[in-house]
Amino acid sequence: MIILSNIEKVYQTKTIETVALQQVNLAVPKGEFLSIMGPSGCGKSTLLNIMGLLDEPSSGTVSIGGQEIRSYKDKELAHIRNEKIGFVFQSYHLVNDLSVLDNVELPLLYRSGVSASERSKRAKIALEKVGLSARTKHFPNQLSGGQRQRVAIARALIGQPEIILADEPTGNLDSVMGEEIMNILLDLNRHDGTTIVMVTHDENMAKKTERLIRFFDGQQVSDAKVYANLQQV
Amino acid sequence: MIRHLFKLIWNRKKSNFLLITEIFFSFMVLFAVLSFVVHNVRNYTKPLGFTHDNVWLLSMRPSSDSAALNRQNLEQVLQRLKSYPEVANISLTSNNAPFSFSITSNAMTYGQVKDVQADYYEVQDDFQELMQVPLKVGRWFGPQDDASNHEPIVINQQLQEKLFGNEPAIGKLIPITDSSSYQVIGITEYFRGAGEFASDAPAMLTRINFAKRQDKFWESLLIKVKPGIGVAFEERMVKDISGITGDWNLEVSMLEKMRKAKAKVTLVPMLGLGFVCAFLILNVALGLFGVLWYNISRRNSEIGLRRALGAAASQVYWQFIGEVLVLATFGLLLGVFFAAQFPLLEVFQVDTEVYLIALFSAVFLIYLLTAACAFYPSRQAAAVQPAVALHEE
Repeated sequence: MIILSNIEKVYQTKTIETVALQQVNLAVPKGEFLSIMGPSGCGKSTLLNIMGLLDEPSSGTVSIGGQEIRSYKDKELAHIRNEKIGFVFQSYHLVNDLSVLDNVELPLLYRSGVSASERSKRAKIALEKVGLSARTKHFPNQLSGGQRQRVAIARALIGQPEIILADEPTGNLDSVMGEEIMNILLDLNRHDGTTIVMVTHDENMAKKTERLIRFFDGQQVSDAKVYANLQQV
Repeated sequence: MIRHLFKLIWNRKKSNFLLITEIFFSFMVLFAVLSFVVHNVRNYTKPLGFTHDNVWLLSMRPSSDSAALNRQNLEQVLQRLKSYPEVANISLTSNNAPFSFSITSNAMTYGQVKDVQADYYEVQDDFQELMQVPLKVGRWFGPQDDASNHEPIVINQQLQEKLFGNEPAIGKLIPITDSSSYQVIGITEYFRGAGEFASDAPAMLTRINFAKRQDKFWESLLIKVKPGIGVAFEERMVKDISGITGDWNLEVSMLEKMRKAKAKVTLVPMLGLGFVCAFLILNVALGLFGVLWYNISRRNSEIGLRRALGAAASQVYWQFIGEVLVLATFGLLLGVFFAAQFPLLEVFQVDTEVYLIALFSAVFLIYLLTAACAFYPSRQAAAVQPAVALHEE
């Protein structure tokens, strides 16, 4: 479960103060598939970064899996990210000089006690899950956009995280590919019980999730269960 | 992680080719210069096998073609010099006196050991006392050698090992012609007349039997003066000798000055090469630093990704340091392969140990240099904010 309490994020320069998030209170129960929508610059990605412990809030508290993040010491945050959170990005963020298998293995490289053979074994299982077991030796530039995003999902899965944070995972893909990726995420949520928080601009994708919240100017403006009353969202 | 770094560098071998080449050439230059420096420093730290305090070299160039007259004058010169209370000792010597720029060598054959080249010095009985030559075994030349059927020689340890191996050398006869031989009467540990930077090469000293060799003339005379004797005596001495020899060309040099002049012949190129090498290395370091900084700034998004996947800032820092060291390893592997041929093929007749010291020092210095160049860019990489870096494309 993710709990954000009274989160504020202010970017400050010498002359300008920009409020990215104000008074955000949000609880994401374990196993929920939440989508976040809103116009560009409304604070969606900032919120996702704070949830993923990639950014620090100016005020407020973040709690992940019952553990309140009090101190933001680099090593501790890195450990939590590695153990509990998987990331999927719009632009895939694959390392072009590493093969598909090596890209997927990356999170386990930062986890102590995992041998090279274990990493390889788990990477192959993760790639099988996303239907890319035939592409282990390929390099990212030899893959299509949809395949790259599936590699990124396999990379997010390999560490068996409780939470997957997806920042516009279908943003760079055509509708067919986008659908394919969405199905993989839905499957992960339904069958593995993984909590997924997804930022998206695509209303159709958002409608497939359990819950949709909307942001505007750094504030949460709506929060609704999609299956309950879609028209009110 | 090391495997991961090797994989990463190997997959980027095309873009890293120039860096690897640069590291390879830097290593080769450093190895060459260090071999030269180590060789000379090792020689410098070895004993010369003699002392030269207050020793002067008198060079005499007779103007007359009359061997008898020249010989007569030389005898008078020797007598005159011995009569000075300021003079402690004198000894005629061959033209390759210590620290001179002359070399005389002799090929020695003993049994199955053929043509061992040895530096050849002719000296008188007083040479040992004059130059304080310590003997390891045996004795120095003396009047008892006048009656010897063989030509007595004192050899250094290098020549002993080359000719006789581990066998005792004293008393051994080394043929000169079918009817004459050298006889080893003494062994000194070192004798490096060519100077402080000269190799410890095989050397032999033969006895000048002045009375017996009436036909022979020696142009060089070593004079040991008592402490505190200076230029005033030198002027008086030359004036007196000129009175005996007429228009002979006389030149007095102090061995200490000759030593310095001889040392400069090695020191000047050594310092020159050192400066050129330092300049090259500095350029390589600046180039490496620039390239690394540029490469790291290009990889901001990858750094952000690694941070997101669980890498702590320190792990990113060590990853980049590690990458540079792996990069250096590729260049060094190639360099070590070529450098190892020098000791294996015994190039330039330099001790294997010299090449090994130079090789390991060059490897260490290249690793140090590359790590130092990577230090600041890697710190910059570690300081990258993941949330910002992930949005850079």
